Amino acid sequence: MNEAEIEFDRIAGDSLEHREEIVDQLISTYGDRILHLAYTYVKNEATAEDLTQDVFIKCYEKLGQFNGRSSLKTWLYRVAANHFKDYLKSWHHRKLTLNEKVLSCIPTPDRNVEETVVAKDDEQQLADAVMALPVKYREVVFLHYYEELTITEISGVTGENISTLKTRLVRARQLLKEAISREGLE
Amino acid sequence: MKDPLSKVKTAMSDHTFKNLTFSKERKQGVKEAIREKKRHAGLASWSEETLISLLQSVKTEARDGYAISVILFQRHDRTFERKEGELYTLLHMLENKEILSASWKNDRKYYALTGKGKKYLAASQEKSTVQSPVLRKLIEEAAL
Repeated sequence: MNEAEIEFDRIAGDSLEHREEIVDQLISTYGDRILHLAYTYVKNEATAEDLTQDVFIKCYEKLGQFNGRSSLKTWLYRVAANHFKDYLKSWHHRKLTLNEKVLSCIPTPDRNVEETVVAKDDEQQLADAVMALPVKYREVVFLHYYEELTITEISGVTGENISTLKTRLVRARQLLKEAISREGLE
Repeated sequence: MKDPLSKVKTAMSDHTFKNLTFSKERKQGVKEAIREKKRHAGLASWSEETLISLLQSVKTEARDGYAISVILFQRHDRTFERKEGELYTLLHMLENKEILSASWKNDRKYYALTGKGKKYLAASQEKSTVQSPVLRKLIEEAAL
């Protein structure tokens, strides 16, 4: 069998009709979860929704490149994670966050009052602490604890090697414990 | 001690992602974008026979667009009759997909079959083209 045949003997993306079906299924199975992944990266609902839409359109375009070496799910998460990280690196996003930072430097008394008055329960605290982590830790915590992926699967998604990811998880746990005990003392 | 992070899942779904679902409107948005792309790819649906004839015409020597169109015409393939522009679009796509290589000589662009192109040509001739339009799919992909 020659190369050209091998390339086209794969299941996915064989016809555009079939591809659309596969994307439909991916959306109904993973739509919410990809959106949650997006939100974990970008922390903004509307942006997360836009980017999730992009991901499924991208899947439709790229399904022909799916080579079956990983599961379709891992492939989808990889396409998604790459897209979200590209967004974070983009000029548009950097400009936006800079504006936010500038705005957040201006004191808003209302918000401070609200934060002290409303006592956070443990879960809220934990969720906030996860979202406050630097993105590389947030990513691995989401994939491991929320998505319940194994380290090997995460490696298939992010492309980082297993020992790097293990170290990162250890560090993320430390950071979270510190963050929670700090809040508890206050 | 129990891993305190075991609660991450419930904590995040109850708080961070509360009310965060991929809405019907958003799903519809994806569907529409896909339909648009499909229509675009539909415009690029040349028949497998035409694609094979084209590759064959440059199999042994490099030819320019005009010479290719003459050969197709001699084979009674009228796909590009009075729409030569489409032929150049197709040649360009095949070049992008590295099925053809192009070189300039005397202000004319000459196309030749690459190694990859030869493999595709062999594969598409081997199988029944009805069952597996290898080349047509490649072009659809390029048009997306």
